[in-house]
Amino acid sequence: MSSEPIIRTENLTHLYSEGLSSEVAAIHNINIEIMQGEILAIIGHTGSGKSTLIQHFNGLLKPSTGRVFVDGKDIWESKQATRESRFKVGLCFQYPEYQLFEESVYKDIAFGPKNMGLDENETGIRVRRAAAFVGVDDDMLERSPFDLSGGEKRRVAIAGVMAMEPKVLVLDEPTSGLDPRGRDMVLDLIGNYRRQTGNTVILVSHSMEDVARLATKVLVMNDSQIAMCGSVEQVYSQGTLLYEMGLNVPQITRIFMGLRSHGIDVNDGVFTVEQGRNEIARLLKSRGVQK
Amino acid sequence: MIRDITIGQYFFGKSFIHKMDARMKILISLFFIILIFLCKNFFSLGLVAAFTVFILSISKIPFKLILKSLKPIIIIVVFTAFLNLFYTKGGKTLYEFWVFEITLKGVYSAIFMAVRIICLVAGTSLLTYTTTPTSLTNAIESLLSPLKRLHVDVHTFAMMMTLALRFIPTLIEEIDRIMSAQKARGADLESGGLVKRARALIPIFIPLFVSAFRRAYELAYAMECRCYNGGKGRTSMKKMHFTYRDGVAFAVIALLTAGIFILNFNIRAVI
Ligand SMILES: Nc1ncnc2c1ncn2[C@@H]1O[C@H](COP(=O)(O)OP(=O)(O)OP(=O)(O)O)[C@@H](O)[C@H]1O
Ligand SMILES: [Mg+2]
Repeated sequence: MSSEPIIRTENLTHLYSEGLSSEVAAIHNINIEIMQGEILAIIGHTGSGKSTLIQHFNGLLKPSTGRVFVDGKDIWESKQATRESRFKVGLCFQYPEYQLFEESVYKDIAFGPKNMGLDENETGIRVRRAAAFVGVDDDMLERSPFDLSGGEKRRVAIAGVMAMEPKVLVLDEPTSGLDPRGRDMVLDLIGNYRRQTGNTVILVSHSMEDVARLATKVLVMNDSQIAMCGSVEQVYSQGTLLYEMGLNVPQITRIFMGLRSHGIDVNDGVFTVEQGRNEIARLLKSRGVQK
Repeated sequence: MIRDITIGQYFFGKSFIHKMDARMKILISLFFIILIFLCKNFFSLGLVAAFTVFILSISKIPFKLILKSLKPIIIIVVFTAFLNLFYTKGGKTLYEFWVFEITLKGVYSAIFMAVRIICLVAGTSLLTYTTTPTSLTNAIESLLSPLKRLHVDVHTFAMMMTLALRFIPTLIEEIDRIMSAQKARGADLESGGLVKRARALIPIFIPLFVSAFRRAYELAYAMECRCYNGGKGRTSMKKMHFTYRDGVAFAVIALLTAGIFILNFNIRAVI
């Protein structure tokens, strides 16, 4: 693995309705480096430019100014380079289930690999591999995507992007609108995917809990700009700053902060329920309470 | 690009035109289309163009917005202009190459057609820019009400038209979203022959239809929940009235018509 970032942006700015009175800079002067193998979470209030930013990684949006490099190559250098970036960076939009169109789940997942020009055999292998990641069995592959439940559709749609086997998988709010079980399933599959393939994952999320569970690095967007970037601990310890940006630390973290302010000696670097349980178990043990 | 289409949108305002009776606006719009095609020479067309600029400026719709709404028809305008440029023969030959010949008359008719189309689109789109969908429905219903005697369900028809207009921007946004999603999966919409391009539309249109049906169901439920059950016995809270404004508009249009006729036939007499 090289130390060269897989995605790098240079003074990236994007204006919507350029030249009109309604012109807005949805992202402004963004410089980031995303390393191979990271799970980067992008958080920020509504309209802070998260979706706009990620659509630059695979060349769907063209920067108004600035440059985007994928794998060290400027993606707007040539038409060829732009098209390559589509396959190197797999982007899965918010509510991706509305993009399903084929008559069977298999064919829908195969849409991406087919567009890459892969042969029938290789396509088949990739479809099955992607289907396995998201827990879609052979029986379901033959069904119509329109007959599935919301959560199943969501997983099929994610598989459709995974099947292109991109070096970077980008997911825009993959858990929005799902029930807790569907949410856990999607989060688990993202974690598994990252562990098994070692590929980079970029995740846009509104849920601070989800981010704490998965991310190795957190990027906070505020008013079209990068406000913070660092590890979960670094970012989540800035509670008041996050609050000013319309964000909040997870509920469990607030509980532990509250405990601490009441003089109970707990670690306040607790961001997931799991960590919370361990911390309480440790505390009980140190006070000599047995289960 | 696709988001630039603004047909059927309403822009809030308080101008003279916004306040006119919607029925009058519809009738004038229809009459305006006829007038544009009655223009026979540059003098009368110039008058229509001036009138179009005039109504656009008093409507206080931002000029840039109107330019933006004209962007999607640029191709049609250019295409028509080119056809006229090459296929109209007569007058002095200005330029010649291979089998093409550009004549003075060709240039004139190219400009004439371009101005005509632009006036047509800019002038008539003002109707929906300045009229809320509700008053548009009421106006259509009121104008078509004589057909009720023939047992035509005028109310349903008017409601259908309004809903169609209302959903144009929504569907455009939806197409934009689906196109991005399929492009992210490597769909190639920009290259290949006609057949390949037509095939490339399948992944766009199927999700679009699916979501349009979903929206239609949701809308129908929402309307039912508010006790909508067709037009029978329905009265409206805001009655439409003709006001002095409509009288003024009528007079202006009458003058415009007279002007066009005079300029069409009696230029000498005017000059
Ligand atoms: N197609 C568009 N045309 C014009 N403006 C747009 C368009 N898409 C987004 N914007 C504007 O750009 C800004 C950033 O939007 P973006 O969708 O990137 O935000 P976001 O961070 O993804 O928000 P959310 O959390 O709600 O998804 C917003 O102010 C939005 O209104
Ligand atoms: Mg978004």
